[in-house]
Amino acid sequence: MALKSSINSALAKFKHFYSSYELSRALVPLIVLIIASIAMSPQYFLNPMNIKVVLMQITPLALIATGEMPIILMGSIDLSPGSAQAATAMIAAILTRTTNNILLAIMAAVALGTLIGVINGVLVAKLRIYSFVATLAALVIWRSFVIIVSGGKLIYGLTQYAMFTQDFGTYIPIGFVLTVFIIIVVYVLLTRTVIGRYIYGLGSNEEAVRLAGVRADFVKFLAFTIAGTLYGLGGVMLIAMGGFAVDPWTARGNELNAIASCVLGGIMLTGGSGHPLGSLLGASMLTILTNILVLLGVTEIAVQQTVVGIVLIAAATALTRGLRYVK
Amino acid sequence: MEDRQALLAENIVKRFPGVVAVNNVTFELRYGEIHGLLGQNGAGKSTLLRVIYGVHKPDHGNIYIDGRKIVLKSPRDARMHGIALVHQEITVIPDLTVLENIALLGFSWNWLTSRFDYASFKEYIDRIMSRFRVELELSEKVRNLSAAERMLLQVVAALSINAKILLLDEPTSPLSLHEIERLFDVLNQLRKEGLATVFVTHRVNEAIDVCDRITILRNGEKIATVESRAIDVHTLIKLMLGREPEELYKVRTDKDVELVIGRYATEIPLIEMRNVSTQPQRAAEMPLKKINLKIYEGEVVAVFGFVGAGKTELGKALIGLTKISHGDFLYMGKRVKIKSPVDAVRYGIFYLPEDRKIEGIIPHFTVASNMDISSLNIVKRFGIFVDGARELRISLDMIKRLNIVTSSPYARITQLSGGNQQKVLVARAMLTKARLVIFDEPTVGIDVATKAEIRRLIFRYARERGVSSLVLTSDVDEALGLADRIYVMRDGEIIREYINRNVDRDEILKNLA
Ligand SMILES: Nc1ncnc2c1ncn2[C@@H]1O[C@H](COP(=O)(O)OP(=O)(O)OP(=O)(O)O)[C@@H](O)[C@H]1O
Ligand SMILES: [Mg+2]
Repeated sequence: MALKSSINSALAKFKHFYSSYELSRALVPLIVLIIASIAMSPQYFLNPMNIKVVLMQITPLALIATGEMPIILMGSIDLSPGSAQAATAMIAAILTRTTNNILLAIMAAVALGTLIGVINGVLVAKLRIYSFVATLAALVIWRSFVIIVSGGKLIYGLTQYAMFTQDFGTYIPIGFVLTVFIIIVVYVLLTRTVIGRYIYGLGSNEEAVRLAGVRADFVKFLAFTIAGTLYGLGGVMLIAMGGFAVDPWTARGNELNAIASCVLGGIMLTGGSGHPLGSLLGASMLTILTNILVLLGVTEIAVQQTVVGIVLIAAATALTRGLRYVK
Repeated sequence: MEDRQALLAENIVKRFPGVVAVNNVTFELRYGEIHGLLGQNGAGKSTLLRVIYGVHKPDHGNIYIDGRKIVLKSPRDARMHGIALVHQEITVIPDLTVLENIALLGFSWNWLTSRFDYASFKEYIDRIMSRFRVELELSEKVRNLSAAERMLLQVVAALSINAKILLLDEPTSPLSLHEIERLFDVLNQLRKEGLATVFVTHRVNEAIDVCDRITILRNGEKIATVESRAIDVHTLIKLMLGREPEELYKVRTDKDVELVIGRYATEIPLIEMRNVSTQPQRAAEMPLKKINLKIYEGEVVAVFGFVGAGKTELGKALIGLTKISHGDFLYMGKRVKIKSPVDAVRYGIFYLPEDRKIEGIIPHFTVASNMDISSLNIVKRFGIFVDGARELRISLDMIKRLNIVTSSPYARITQLSGGNQQKVLVARAMLTKARLVIFDEPTVGIDVATKAEIRRLIFRYARERGVSSLVLTSDVDEALGLADRIYVMRDGEIIREYINRNVDRDEILKNLA
């Protein structure tokens, strides 16, 4: 009896914790996933090499998901991260090839990413095109850009980018550490600054925020621009973590992975709600999930995608439970 | 009048984190009565109604209908027992017709098995409307309806599912005087037909006029249920407040006006509109016609007119949201163009919207963040960071000054009662460094004592800090009690201007008759 009541009270406490901290929406399932994968095969999952591989896979995805996140928090959507990542990676690859100057290549990639974000921002904030439509156009256009500048050819052997996979014996690649650092900056931006306040506010009630005299269009523009910069970094990390090669169809479909990461990370697609570390946690979940599937011998991409889809539906259901309505 | 008991809510307790919203309340409702439910903001009126309507599960207590105990798991259950809730925030679909909305709200047929027979449904609704003397054009799009008609639509929808118990949460707040009369005609008819009605209002006179009995709540507790024949306004207010009320209407004296009058001839007004007209962009918008308006520094100006007179359009024209097609807008004597709220803020003009839910609150934000969203420039540190300690200090101060009932500054705004949300928005306006604040119906849905409090705050704020206030109001007592000057507005035109000294209430009202 005493045991039962203490279990009940522990459960009640957990429920309270779970519902009062936005982060727990993502943290709890992530921990469950990690425990599950360790339980399945400790020697495989706890193998440092596997840990390093997982961290490498998380890195580019976490970057684009973190770019996408403020946009979703604003109540908009960005469909361009996949193509933006490809375009920036391709530019970096070409410049690395032609000039052999990796710093220049990286700067160019980040600059191009930022430019893509600026254009998205102008289309949405200034020309008032629905973000879905504006960035759908960006998705198509920037993919065509990649195909044109690459001449349809694969660029490989970009081993200079191996520096991002170095781990100095810790099995934590430098690129991942850098990414976490950038995510912390975004975290501070979203939680501590005026811009972050406005971003959440726009997602919650844009009309009210505009009437309060906030320069809403500028905030939107800024969010898209920052996202573009992060996509550029995501492009660079794609080369580093993805076998030092870029092909014209690289990162295809990554816009959906970015959005899925946000959803898994507890970012509400209706805007205004979600913890700023959600993108990182969601990207981790998505990656670990694929990792488990590989371990289970599910190598067929189609089957993997199906499982991911089902998990996404489950996550989205948990997220919107108790809401009166969603769009 | 029947005397049979319709509903008994017995020893109801409803707690929310940090507050007991309804504390051991026993509430009895009879057939054939209009039962008033009164109390200050946050007293627990809406919560009690939501418990009876099955939205909230009570922590304690029972509900009986016709003497039988029932358990309500959802509003659906409540409707099956003949209980319907009508309030401002229920969504009607603007692009559908009245009849279609009634069908949707009534939700009285099975979607899968029965066919929706338009003609017979219309006939059915027509019968209900003639029985209860409701007049509504069924084929009209809801978008073109007035607030009162939307309210009546909800009443008809409730009647269409044979509701016997109607719960009306502040139905009269957004209505003008004759609209209120129209609603009361219907309510009286409901009473004659033996229905039981609960009626929440902040207008004490109104409650005494139409209700048979009145129940008063204070801090979640029931104070009394009284026969309205046997009570007067003063006693009722005393019961609501738990103390002797202070002066409720006049927050300023005629002498206050003398101080500003001298300036009218000599000074340049802060804001002036000369022959301003607008072209409506949406169907329901009232065009402004040749508006001439002046607002001096530190002056409180009221624009008085009924709902739909164009006051909101005027307010929005001042912040660039209604496009000015003719005429001049002058700021300190110079012609300016204000194209958006951002421009307006640059000139120090701030508008506090009347539609709290759609244009006011930011639902995911805390009380504190809702207050300072328009004044983050004074709460920030190092250019971009929000200073949390400062935010807390400012919000605590405002909570105290405006008497806001909330468990903490960090409570989500949606957890506050309607009136308290409105007070948070008033705090938002006061925190801006504006030179002109436009208050659009600042005290709708606010209890009597706090109404006076807010008016006093607006007045003091104008005088002490030299901030001008433009109060758009449909309450003539608000205009008279608060303003230095009063413009009377009708159909998008300013038809009279009064300097508020020895002005007769009836004379002002005559303009609108
Ligand atoms: N969903 C909720 N979560 C937490 N607290 C709530 C919630 N709903 C209401 N409350 C609290 O319960 C108390 C009673 O609120 P209620 O809305 O019933 O007041 P009210 O009498 O209708 O006031 P008003 O006249 O302002 O509409 C308030 O203190 C309010 O903050
Ligand atoms: Mg209420």
